[in-house]
Formats: sequence, C-alpha cells, structure tokens
Amino acid sequence: MIHPVFQNLRSISVYFGTWILLAGIHFSILFFQFRIPLNIALADSLIYNFLLCMIGVALWYVIRYSMPGNHPGFSFIFNHFTSLILLLVFWLGTGYALLSVLFKDQAVFMNFLGLSIPYRFIVGIMLYAFTGLAYYLILMYRDLQDKAKAETRLNELLKESELNMLKSQINPHFLFNSLNSISSLTITDPGKAQEMVVKLSEFLRYSVTSNINTFTTLDKEMQNIQRYLEIEKIRFGDKLVFEFDMAPGCSSRHIPVMILQPLFENAIKHGVYESTEPVKVLTRCSTFADYFEISITNDFDPSAPARKGSGIGLRNIRERLRLMFRNDSLLKTSASQNVFQVILTIPNQVVENTLKQ
Amino acid sequence: MTYKAIIIDDEKPARDIIRTFLKDFSDIEVLAECSDGFAGLKAIQDLKPDLAFLDIQMPKLTGFEVLELIDNPPLIIFSTAYDQYAIRAFEMNATDYILKPYSRERFAQAVGKVIAKLQSGIAIQPEVQKIIMSADEKEELLNRIAVKTRHKVHVIGVGEIIYLEAEGDYVMIHTKDGNYLKEKTMKYFESHLDPEKYIRIHRSYIVNAEAIERIELYDKESYSVLLKNGASLRASSSGYKLLKQILHM
Repeated sequence: MIHPVFQNLRSISVYFGTWILLAGIHFSILFFQFRIPLNIALADSLIYNFLLCMIGVALWYVIRYSMPGNHPGFSFIFNHFTSLILLLVFWLGTGYALLSVLFKDQAVFMNFLGLSIPYRFIVGIMLYAFTGLAYYLILMYRDLQDKAKAETRLNELLKESELNMLKSQINPHFLFNSLNSISSLTITDPGKAQEMVVKLSEFLRYSVTSNINTFTTLDKEMQNIQRYLEIEKIRFGDKLVFEFDMAPGCSSRHIPVMILQPLFENAIKHGVYESTEPVKVLTRCSTFADYFEISITNDFDPSAPARKGSGIGLRNIRERLRLMFRNDSLLKTSASQNVFQVILTIPNQVVENTLKQ
Repeated sequence: MTYKAIIIDDEKPARDIIRTFLKDFSDIEVLAECSDGFAGLKAIQDLKPDLAFLDIQMPKLTGFEVLELIDNPPLIIFSTAYDQYAIRAFEMNATDYILKPYSRERFAQAVGKVIAKLQSGIAIQPEVQKIIMSADEKEELLNRIAVKTRHKVHVIGVGEIIYLEAEGDYVMIHTKDGNYLKEKTMKYFESHLDPEKYIRIHRSYIVNAEAIERIELYDKESYSVLLKNGASLRASSSGYKLLKQILHM
C-alpha cells in the first residue's frame, strides 16, 4: 500500500508544508516570547521539527501493522504506547544531543532547553496523536473505497454470469423466430397466437427462474421440454414429430435443471432445421439399480453436410455434469446412418446426497 | 404493371405473414412459396420473379447459397432473425434486410424500395449504415460450399476439399468425388477457410493439410507437396514457410 505522504506531489507538499508551518510557529515562540537569539531559535526549530517530520513519515509503518481490527484492544494500546515512548525518547534525545553539540557554551539556552523538555514531550504526544489519527482516517477512507470498488466489480461479475447463464439457456434466434410466428398468427389465427404466447411465456419463466445449480424432477423438466417442442411444432408443423417413452419410475427422479434443454435444441437444429422430410424426436427414459438413463434420438438428413454448431451446448452440459457428479462419461453421443442419439446417465447416489445437503 | 414475387422460408407462419403483408400491395403477385433452399432455387430459375423474400437458415441450401447459385437474381429482401449476416447480405446486393419479427411499416418500407427500384431501374442505396452498426461484425468461416454443375447443385462440406486450384476467374475445387468449378477468387477462399487447416502454398493452390502425404524439394527455390490421392502440387518458398509453420516442421 502506498504511503499517503508520497501518493502524489500534492500530498508531499501538504505534509512538508505543515511541518514548515509548525517549525515557523516553534521559531516564533522561541524568538518572540522567550527572546532566544535568532540563530539558536532557528536551529532549535529546524532540528526538532525536521526530526518530528521524519518520525511522522515512519509512524505510518507503525500504524499499518497495528490496525485496531487486527489486534485485540490491549495489544493495540500497548503497541502504540511503546512506539510513542520510543519515538519521543529518540526525538528529544537526538534533538538535545545535536543542540548541545552546537551551543554547548550558551549556558542560558542550555538551561532553557532542559526546562522545556516536559513541554516538548507534551507537544510530541499531541503531534503523535494527530498524525496517527490522520493516518487511521486515510486508511479507513481507502478501505471504504476498496470495498465500494470490490462491490461494484462483484455486482458486475454477478450480472455477467447471470446474463451468460441466460444466454446459454435461451437461444435468441429461437426467441425471435417464435415471436415472428406469433406476429404472423395474430393475423391468421389469433387463438393459436394466444396459445403460443402462453407457451413461450411459461418456457421463458422456467428458464429465467431456474437456478442452474439445483435439481428438479424429470417430470418438471420434461414439461418444459414439451412446451419447447410444441412451440417448435407451431413453427415447423408436420416436419416435427415427437414421442415420449418414459418408464414408470422416471418422472420422480431428479436431474440438474435445464440440462436437457440444449440436447433437444440440438436435435431440432441438426434434425428439423436441416431437413425437408418429417423428423422424429424420440425421448426414452429407463431406470436401473444405481442410475437412470435418458436417451434422445432424432432423424437427420445425412446428405446435408453438417452445419457446424458452436458446440457450446454439449460442452456446457459436459462441464456441468463434471462439476456436479465428478464423472466425465455421463453424456454419450452416437450417430448411425440417419439417426443421431444422445444418452444421458444420471447416477442416483450423488443426486440423493446433494438433495440431502 | 404487376410484379411477381416468391417467398422462400422454412416456417409456415413466417411465409404467412409475408403473404398477409403483401396484400397491401395490389401490384405484387405471389407466384410460389417454398420451404427449403433447393425448392427456392428451382422456383426462382423456373418462374423468374421480380422479387424474392429469402430466409437465410434453411434446409438444403442457405439463402446466401441460393443467391450465389442464381445467374440473374431477382431483387432480394432477406428476412431473418439473425442480425450478424446484414453486412454479407448487402455485399451480395440485397435490396433490404429485415429482422424478424418486423412491423408492417418496416415491411412496407422494404417492399417500397423494391418497387421503386423496379419502376426506375435506378439503384437506391439501402440503409446499410444503420444495420451495420447493430450487426456483429465477424467474418464467418465457411463450413460448406454450394456449387452448380450443368443440371445439379452440389453442397460440399469443407472437410471434403482436397485442394483448391486457381482457374482464371474461377477456382477448381478438388474433392474425392470429383472436381467442381466455383466463381470465386483464391483470396476469398483464403480468408473464408480455417487458415490452420487450409494452407495457401502457392499463388494457384490452397491445400487441405490433412490431405498431405509428404513434401519434397523440387528445385532450389520450390517444393513439391505430394498428396494422399497421388496429386503433386507446387509450393512457393513463402508457401513452404507457411506449411512449415502450420505443420510445426
């Protein structure tokens, strides 16, 4: 942390200016009130104030390592008491030694100097307290500023990650194309338009309100997938056919929220978007002793050279599965002649443990 | 005078709204609706409309591929949900580019431009600037190339390319299934193919790094690149440097 005196030219001139002013006051008192000769008064004020000025700079380091928060009350007071005594003894001792070397034959002044030591001691305590207080205030101010900065940055990060999350959940082109369909249906078939608005809203609400780190039942997740597929069905009509084959025990099983959505988006993107023939999206769920399995298959047109997706969808899912289950092989993809399949395996144990927590 | 229009979009509701909005224009007649790129290409060639509404992401061929393959294209209004293609659309001389969903006013403005163009024959500058500002300006790499032989359209995945060879104003695309001529420059392919995989080894050649069998010294200044299919290509000294760098030789 930068020393507050040496922050910039202004802080340097304020600090040293203050000491020059104090030296001036010191000199005036000696010269005008106590009638001490000019050269001696000058030397006295310069030596004592120069020393104090240096001690003031050094005090910062004492302050830095003795924050009230870091130490319990007693040791805080003890630290300052020790440093105060040491610094003042050093200050008065050095000043006295220098002046007595310079003016050892000036008996009147030496006598005055000896008598003034208690007063100098009191002034020293006051200056120590003022300087220390100033340093503490500066530290507190800096701390506040840092906290405010950190908070802003944290908020930014939060917002960013939330936005990214939303982005990864809702494909904007799906959204805009659906809105375009609605725009069209409001004229040609208002009833259907209303139905689609409701479906799209429910779909969006589920996406926006889901916390990405939580689990939900397969039943709830599939309801949302159903909405998604129904919306796509309005856009693509007979070109999209979907079927579900869920084993009885499946609907109450738990899976990470929104983990299926990107898989269905891929099935639609590589199947329906690229084909002129009807494409069937078939979802199967089967339960086993320690895990259950969801398989999604879709037809695709093998003659259409694959339009490469960004691959973000699958990568995100793999990453989430890895973080949640510490297992890299839960998502498998395979392609036969004209059918693409993804199989997602969810182990029971980890899910139950996570739910208990 | 009535003008003829074709609507090409893979979503029925999207075609419906175009047809509905077109009812405001008594001088435009819709000849056909098509739901994929191939059908659209065929319809444009057979029916020779004055105007085509073209979606971009469609099965078989994208809107851009359709436009590339037509010899005398009609006036084009792209209608799509993707804003990042606007620059390319105007580079291909599209009359307008409307983002879904659009208002009746925005649609009328686009059609108005087309009618003005058709009536006067004078080119009207589209409002490129406004759209460019909102568009994400990134040059996308090709992942497929559409080519037309005498009666057929082929869509070649870029992975199938063995090498590209300059042929005057054209580029010959060599694949294991045959060679196809495409009216584009070497420079275009150089900037639209992944430079880590497709290497410009010579003024006249871009080679797929995966197709290389070995490289031999040809003479003092140049090298021969021998391919797995038996072909042998010349590499210039700068091309050889690039090869060395990319293949970490």
